[in-house]
Amino acid sequence: MRRSARRPAHLTFIILGMAALAGCALPAPYSPPRPAPTPVPAPGPIERAPPIEPRLPAPAVQPAPEVPPPPVRAKALNPAARALVAQAQSQAAAGNYAVSAANLERALRIEPDSSQLWIEMGKVRQAEGNFAQAENMARKALSLATGDPRSQSSAWRLIADSYRSRKRVQEARDADVRAEALTPN
Amino acid sequence: MKRARKMLLLRIGLASVAVLAAFFAIYVAYLDRVVTQQFEGRRWTLPAQVFAQPIDLYVGQSISAAVFEQELKRLGYQQAGQADRPGSYRRRGDRFDFMSRRVQFWDETRDPQSIAVTLHSGSITAIEDRSGAEVPIFRLDPLLIGSIFPIHGEDRVVLTPEEVPPLLPAALKIVEDRKFDSHFGIDPIAILRATFANLRAGRIVQGGSTLTQQLVKSYFLDSRQTLGRKVEEALMAIILDARFEKTDLMTAYINEIHLGQDGQRAIHGFGLASQYYFGKPLAELQLHEVALLVAVARGPSYYNPRRSAQRALERRNLVLQLLAEYKVIASKEADAAIKRPLGLAGDGRIAAGYYPAFLDFVRRTLRRDYREEDLTEGGLKIFTTLDPLVQASAEAALIAELERLDKARKKQREASLEGVVVITAPQSGEVSAMVGGRRVGYDGFNRALDAKRSIGSLVKPFIYLAAIETGRYHAASIIEDGPIEVKLANGQKWRPQNITQEMFGPVPLVRALSQSMNLATVRLGMEVGLPLVTQEFTKLGLEREPPKLPALLLGALDVSPLDVAQMYNGLANGGFRTPLRAVRAVVDAQGKPLQAFPLEIAQVADPAAVYQVNRMLVEVMNRGTGRSARARIPPGLVVAGKTGTSSDYRDSWFAGFSGSHLAVVWVGYDDNSPTGLTGSSGALAVWSQLMGSLNTSPLDLFLPESLEEGTIEYQSGLRANAGCASDVLDVAVPRGATIEQKAGCESSALGSLGQRISGFVEGMIRP
Repeated sequence: MRRSARRPAHLTFIILGMAALAGCALPAPYSPPRPAPTPVPAPGPIERAPPIEPRLPAPAVQPAPEVPPPPVRAKALNPAARALVAQAQSQAAAGNYAVSAANLERALRIEPDSSQLWIEMGKVRQAEGNFAQAENMARKALSLATGDPRSQSSAWRLIADSYRSRKRVQEARDADVRAEALTPN
Repeated sequence: MKRARKMLLLRIGLASVAVLAAFFAIYVAYLDRVVTQQFEGRRWTLPAQVFAQPIDLYVGQSISAAVFEQELKRLGYQQAGQADRPGSYRRRGDRFDFMSRRVQFWDETRDPQSIAVTLHSGSITAIEDRSGAEVPIFRLDPLLIGSIFPIHGEDRVVLTPEEVPPLLPAALKIVEDRKFDSHFGIDPIAILRATFANLRAGRIVQGGSTLTQQLVKSYFLDSRQTLGRKVEEALMAIILDARFEKTDLMTAYINEIHLGQDGQRAIHGFGLASQYYFGKPLAELQLHEVALLVAVARGPSYYNPRRSAQRALERRNLVLQLLAEYKVIASKEADAAIKRPLGLAGDGRIAAGYYPAFLDFVRRTLRRDYREEDLTEGGLKIFTTLDPLVQASAEAALIAELERLDKARKKQREASLEGVVVITAPQSGEVSAMVGGRRVGYDGFNRALDAKRSIGSLVKPFIYLAAIETGRYHAASIIEDGPIEVKLANGQKWRPQNITQEMFGPVPLVRALSQSMNLATVRLGMEVGLPLVTQEFTKLGLEREPPKLPALLLGALDVSPLDVAQMYNGLANGGFRTPLRAVRAVVDAQGKPLQAFPLEIAQVADPAAVYQVNRMLVEVMNRGTGRSARARIPPGLVVAGKTGTSSDYRDSWFAGFSGSHLAVVWVGYDDNSPTGLTGSSGALAVWSQLMGSLNTSPLDLFLPESLEEGTIEYQSGLRANAGCASDVLDVAVPRGATIEQKAGCESSALGSLGQRISGFVEGMIRP
């Protein structure tokens, strides 16, 4: 078997449980800080309904409480998938997008839950001008990147790029802000 | 006077001869046109070849040594002392050395390579090339699974002269036509000899046909033995011989001749026959195998090696003796070959597996972009998503369980149960297996695509998804499973019932779905509103929106198993829709990529809502209508799924998924009569048998950041913990969602901690 069944929440329980044992009140759940919206000129006509995205918790009013870092789920790719990603990257750099994407699909068959692979796939789509699929791949990556701010940040960055390429300036800016907030410093 | 009459008669005579000669010339010219056209046309008629998905080998991949060896054999690799020829391998314990063949994939063409694979306790531990350097990933040859042949059923794999081992034409000449190289299309002496023998015997005991005549006969598919027909055939043979080189005629013969029958599919040419009988390319056949094919050529049904093994064996040995007698081979070689068994691949199912339902799906996919002739004649190579191992498991599970169900029900019915299995890889939407009926090799009605049947409770998850997506419900929301009356458009009142006639009162959504409660579901659907519910189906990939009728809430929706797979794939893929695909790429006869079908996805549902629904579907398997599957699938394998039963038990459905496979199963009668089976007692049995036999990974759901875990009492849906309730359940609900506390569970942070620790421990030990 490739991987054991595991729920990320259990890690949270351990952390929360230990915090409670230490006599503290239960800390507020971690939520990524969300920047206040910046005033901008009115956007152009909306071409379509906004995509569905996970509801984010309301912006924190008080300064972010000190919390233990969220459990990190980022996983290293296995060597086979890594080799395919390396090939795919050089093929994409040479403009050979179809073959590059085919190699990434092979990698995804090995590790379908890797947000990193979905981001790579999205980058190839972005490079070949398929901006909508680039965004979709990034959103798929986001859905798999719980507890992995680095991947979340890359995914938002890719979403920002895909919006920019489609001249959706405000949405691109919002996505950039999200990416920035998630960038580990 | 007399002279004048003589002259006249002579002139008439001459004129008649001239007229006759002219007619004959026209006739010959006509035959020439017909036969030449046929020859030239056939020469380049190549049915598209269809390949399964190639197996990727990499360190860490789980595959046992036995299965790996089976894979090599299935691909026609031969065990040898040294793996020094393409298509050979050597096994020493857990180490396999093999030399791959030259392979054309759609994205690369690879020359033969020497590879060593080491396995240990069920997975690959090392892959090295000839120099001992580590190979991170290696693709095996893709298995040829068939071709797209024309409607009249002739299937063939066309070979070039270079792909034909020299032994074959030599053997054919010795056995069928010894004067092939010198005669002019027909062999008058052979014809005389045969005529004499036949006259003496009073029936046909000997044929005097040359290979060229047999070729002509095969072109026109006419076995009438009339004299006129024979003369025409002979003339055509002479014409062909005059017009074309002997080697071209031999190649045409090798590609043309009928060598077996597989249901509707006629096996033509030695290239396909080699695959069909031995599961490997002609170039890799050994002496005794070539001899068998030559034997079969004399009469593919009379010398059918699968049905008349002894007769075929005797004829094969006769061929070998003739080859030795005429010094084509040494008599020692012949003696050794005569001692060999027939050596047919598997029982005809493993190596020569034929997947009509899947191929039909491939054909329909490609028909949108290609003309029929391109597919049946253009020599395309089609790379598909079929996984032969998964397909074999699906076929085996369906056949075994339908037999058991037929027997167990002891119902005196003429018809037997039918069934369908469709399997996809959820994240990519690739269809890895498709079984269209219990006669798996039968190319008939493709139920997987064309049987539109009522799906019963398989609709329910989409109603719950629609509800949760409104933001007004979550997994622990309470809904009443009690009497409900729905006013229909015609003014009548509809009072649905639970399947057991019971009512369960106020229950959490998770329990209502796990136990497939009808009353709670109808109430929920009506509260949410039919338009939102019907939209959910189209969002997840159903082509046409179902009518907005209350009966939809209990499954009045007739769709195909493939449609169900498309919709459930959206759930298994976390709310992302990806069109189900059977084809990855198409390349032309020269190897140039024509078309790729790349992975495309779109987010169609809120991942947090889908997550909650999927967690409920896991509970279906743990506590609800799917729990009987647990006995048959490995303890650690987390799966999610839903049963479906249509009214009067006409259709038994199950749709469910692990981390790497989604499988949809339908069981029922073709004439739509009641089966007496529920989704649990019918389709689920097939599904769990199948999932238990697959190499699949557990479902691993990623808790979205907008959700949090909470513990409720399963029965009531009230917040509780293991200390104050007997049957508690972890559910995911939106952060900050209010769940009413069960009386007696109002505990301190410590209580809550205890509950969480117990939940955690339970999670650790939960199978």
